Amino acid sequence: MGGKVTCTLGEVKNRADFIIYWGGNPAECHPRHFTKYTLTQKGKFVPLGRKGRTMITIDIRETPSARAADIALIIKPGKDFELATTIRALMKGQPVDEARVADIGLPLATIQDLVERMKRAKFGVIFFGMGVSMTRGKHMNSAGLLNIAAEMNAFTKFVCMPMRGHGNVTGADVVLRWTTGYPFGVSLSRGYPRFNPGEFSTIDLLVRGDTDATLVLGADPGATMPQPAIDHLTRTPTIVLDPKVTHTSRIARVHVTTAVTGVSAPGTAYRMDEIPMTLRPGLKSPYPTDEQVINLLLAAVAKKPAWRPAAPEELRGASLVRLASRT
Amino acid sequence: MVRITGGSVYDPANGINGAVKDICIDDAGRVVAALNGSEVRTIDATGMLVFPGGVDVHTHVAGGALNFARGLVPENQRIARKFLHTPELRAGIGGLTPTTFATGYLYAGMGWTTVNEAAVPILSAKHTHEELHDIPIVDKSTLLLMANNELMLDLLEAGEFERAKSLVGWMIQSAKTFGIKAVNPGGVAAWKWGKNANQLHKPIEGYAKITAGQIVTQLARIVDELGLPHPMHLHQNNLGVPGNVASTIETMNLLQGHRAHLAHLQFHAYGGHDWGSMKSEAPAVAAAFLAHKNLTCDVGAVLFGDAVTITADGPWQHLLYELTGRKWGNLDVENETGCGIVPYVYSDHKLVNAVQWAVGLELLLLIDDPWRVYLTTDHPNGGGFWRYPEIIRLLMDAEFRKAEVRKLPPEAQKRITLAELDRQYTLSDVAIVTSAGPARALGLAQKGHLGVGADGDVTIYSGKPDADGVMLSYPRYVLKAGTVVVEEGEIRALTEGREFIVQPAFDPGIEAFIRPNFEKVYTMSFENYPTEMSRIRHPQIVPCSR
Amino acid sequence: MLTLTLKEPVERVPLEAEALGPDTVAALDHSAICALPVYLGKKQCRIDDFFTVDGEASDELELRGDLRKVRWIGRGMTRGHINIVGNAGMHLGAYMQGGAIEVSGSASDWVGGEMSGGLIRIAGNAGGQIGAAYRGSRRGMSDGTIVVGGSAGLEIGMRMKRGLIVIGGPVRDFAGLEMKGGTIILRSGAELRTGAWMSRGTIISLAPIPLLPSFLPSSRYVPSFLRVVAQHLRRLGTSVPDDPAAGTYTRYLGDAAVIGKGEILVWSAA
Repeated sequence: MGGKVTCTLGEVKNRADFIIYWGGNPAECHPRHFTKYTLTQKGKFVPLGRKGRTMITIDIRETPSARAADIALIIKPGKDFELATTIRALMKGQPVDEARVADIGLPLATIQDLVERMKRAKFGVIFFGMGVSMTRGKHMNSAGLLNIAAEMNAFTKFVCMPMRGHGNVTGADVVLRWTTGYPFGVSLSRGYPRFNPGEFSTIDLLVRGDTDATLVLGADPGATMPQPAIDHLTRTPTIVLDPKVTHTSRIARVHVTTAVTGVSAPGTAYRMDEIPMTLRPGLKSPYPTDEQVINLLLAAVAKKPAWRPAAPEELRGASLVRLASRT
Repeated sequence: MVRITGGSVYDPANGINGAVKDICIDDAGRVVAALNGSEVRTIDATGMLVFPGGVDVHTHVAGGALNFARGLVPENQRIARKFLHTPELRAGIGGLTPTTFATGYLYAGMGWTTVNEAAVPILSAKHTHEELHDIPIVDKSTLLLMANNELMLDLLEAGEFERAKSLVGWMIQSAKTFGIKAVNPGGVAAWKWGKNANQLHKPIEGYAKITAGQIVTQLARIVDELGLPHPMHLHQNNLGVPGNVASTIETMNLLQGHRAHLAHLQFHAYGGHDWGSMKSEAPAVAAAFLAHKNLTCDVGAVLFGDAVTITADGPWQHLLYELTGRKWGNLDVENETGCGIVPYVYSDHKLVNAVQWAVGLELLLLIDDPWRVYLTTDHPNGGGFWRYPEIIRLLMDAEFRKAEVRKLPPEAQKRITLAELDRQYTLSDVAIVTSAGPARALGLAQKGHLGVGADGDVTIYSGKPDADGVMLSYPRYVLKAGTVVVEEGEIRALTEGREFIVQPAFDPGIEAFIRPNFEKVYTMSFENYPTEMSRIRHPQIVPCSR
Repeated sequence: MLTLTLKEPVERVPLEAEALGPDTVAALDHSAICALPVYLGKKQCRIDDFFTVDGEASDELELRGDLRKVRWIGRGMTRGHINIVGNAGMHLGAYMQGGAIEVSGSASDWVGGEMSGGLIRIAGNAGGQIGAAYRGSRRGMSDGTIVVGGSAGLEIGMRMKRGLIVIGGPVRDFAGLEMKGGTIILRSGAELRTGAWMSRGTIISLAPIPLLPSFLPSSRYVPSFLRVVAQHLRRLGTSVPDDPAAGTYTRYLGDAAVIGKGEILVWSAA
């Protein structure tokens, strides 16, 4: 089942001599990526900087990032999974069907060459963006690239990591994992954490109309989600906490303006490689922080009758520590 | 204020071996000789066994590696024990990678009150401390990963020992940890290029001079000269490799003249030369260990069933992934260390696993100085920490143990000596290997005993065997700093534990040396590197001896 | 037979009703059945808050109404029979070990998730992840049979180890994803990436399907085991062609990206 083989960004800066950006455009979306971490810095073991590195882009169109690449591979839309699967097979010396490879938009020889270059690298890295994770195939596209990196370690050092999106999404992922055991799509309705993307993930919940109230913090679903989701947010009570009046605010029941985290409110953000960074606010704000508002909400909820969820079947009658099982 | 009366007290640090006596705890949460005053809760412990609270000297419960593991195994979380939300308790999930609140409930529920998080990278120490902040009840200490720190290795390579020592002092203060951890010295640095360090006396990958053996001795010397309460805590080279007994004994020889704590020694006591010929070399390792009186160890025993291997030993984890085809997580941390994660299952019909199971028990039985060997499973590498009572049972009941050995594959039984061992742990032995001994090794003077001045961390067992005939399965009462936190298997109170940290002396000029090097090889501003003291919940500074 | 009729449609927050199964109801009297817990979001309710309860408790359970938002029906059941006259919600027959479930309408995602025995038959359409592994699990269904008359969604039979899935209508992407064994029959073909990363097992498609580059054609014939499969399917009220005069199967081996001892058989009429 592969896995996730990755590193912190300093490892890329110091060692990577072969960098693939797949389905992402860092030149425009992560503007300091090249200069701070991956291309132009002189690394401890890459003293020549840019000249000591080969950078490859894989995308469905030419972007500013592609123009900065040593090799820019343009593939047909919706073929990332096929390309990843082909690479996995070729890496193991397995035959593939040449005609179906051609449907990817690249000649077989080009892909073979790519695989050989990957194997010859001293330290290879694949960064992938929403062109991979949000197009048809979604998490399986991501899994394809992660598997390539894991399996490449039989030949040379290789890592892979996603280019994360807005704000502190990595931080939310990290904190949810340590408090609930799961990174997102967590339901607490039965009194303990449950995880099932598609059942408890946001868009699906809203499109199906499974919820009867929504609290939105640090996101703007009213701008980005499919219309049925927006309709559901409109017809059910929706509360927004945001520094600005957003699209979601306009359809919400309540909007609370809060201070901007990192500018006026303190906290900790987690970088895309999960390294925690202390936020040092430089300005004062007349608005409360998100944290203050949430604490007020919790205090108000605490005044209501307590909710005691029913124990699931396996816990009935068991005390905390009757733990004879092996799980 | 609490008086525990009528119980048989096992306080080996103070020479008490079952005597019936009162234990009194004052409002400050400390054991006192006597209590006056009216507000005393009395716990009638007649017929019960009174132990100092358990001390786990090596576990993985918080921080980047553990959190990575949580995300890797949602299927484990699905079948793990559930902790329900109540107005008093937070929801959570138990299992092998428990969520933070559940970690506190599980340890306390088992009667363990102090845990030592064994692996903290400096770069993500803030994350570790945030998670520790969310673990209720238990007191914590942490160990900083240093043996593959390239800033330090560069200095050792250049022969700059004093500077390296100051650097370590600065790092430990920066990360706000308690001790120093060494994992596969040179091997994790080599893994940055996909290599390892299997030879103690060859220069490590990327260096011309410094060897793994030299890292071991020099880091041990640094820890001694900084006067840290706990010695260098060493996960040796060649973990898990058949035939690693030679490397282990050589490492012990190298450590002569220094204190050191050998982690999860079970994984380092194998004979044979490949998986097919693997056998136990616990007798040889135990004998060598007993002769090296400067050393302590924890056993890292394995139990049959599910485990999640989480270690900084990246190259070993890649090997495990290739051997088993299980999921593999890897995260290299720039300039410092890394981690590897592979979910695993120890099977009682696999030869290798059967030998591993036996080796841990053999070490615990053959090392007959209980003050120097401690009970762990290197949680969650060998099995969940909430299964320690199973190991205690195997140690105390030779008949049961021998019956378990007879269930192993016949070929495995030929590779081990466990069936011949008759020793049975006494209650005093158990109190030492689960509490008094680890507390002493950690240098926490107020832990692991019930004498005047000790922290009021007390575990009270019922004194009657349970339905399976087991004496020390789960406690009847657990007290933390004098507060009853667990009673009859239910959490009664949620206290907040402390975090032990050290502040060794070092040459402050080292910062001027570190800064420019840091800016060259790291990817953040130097100002953002240290962990702020405000992140530590109830920090308690433990003095260094220098 | 016990009949439960949904009083009003569940329109918003879904109802979790794992108590609805023969193992639970067979031994209970009427009032105990009425009091069985169901969960509307975080609220614990009673069965009779949502259903009228008629008849005698037995191994035979009939559910009537549009239960598309009623989840976990038949969870872990080991025996007996559930007949749903209407639609069914997510996780129908998940972890099932024995017995049978029939649905006259359509079902949702995760039908037969990680089941190990028994029969689930759905006349209408089903969602995705039929007989699949829950996220992260190494294995999906390890035995049993699932027959869907209509179409189905993504990741059908994902990581299944053994058992039979038959889908009458077209399926979406990733049918047989990471399959480890067992048989999937796609009577109306599939969209993309069928058999992706399969290591073992058999996928039979009666319509042409796009294949990954890591699947290579091996032979064209009607394998003898098809006759056995056809016989088995006739008993289930469906079929696969096994007459060489009517056409042939092209056998593809894959997935070469992994161990690749799986096969996809694609039928073409003569």
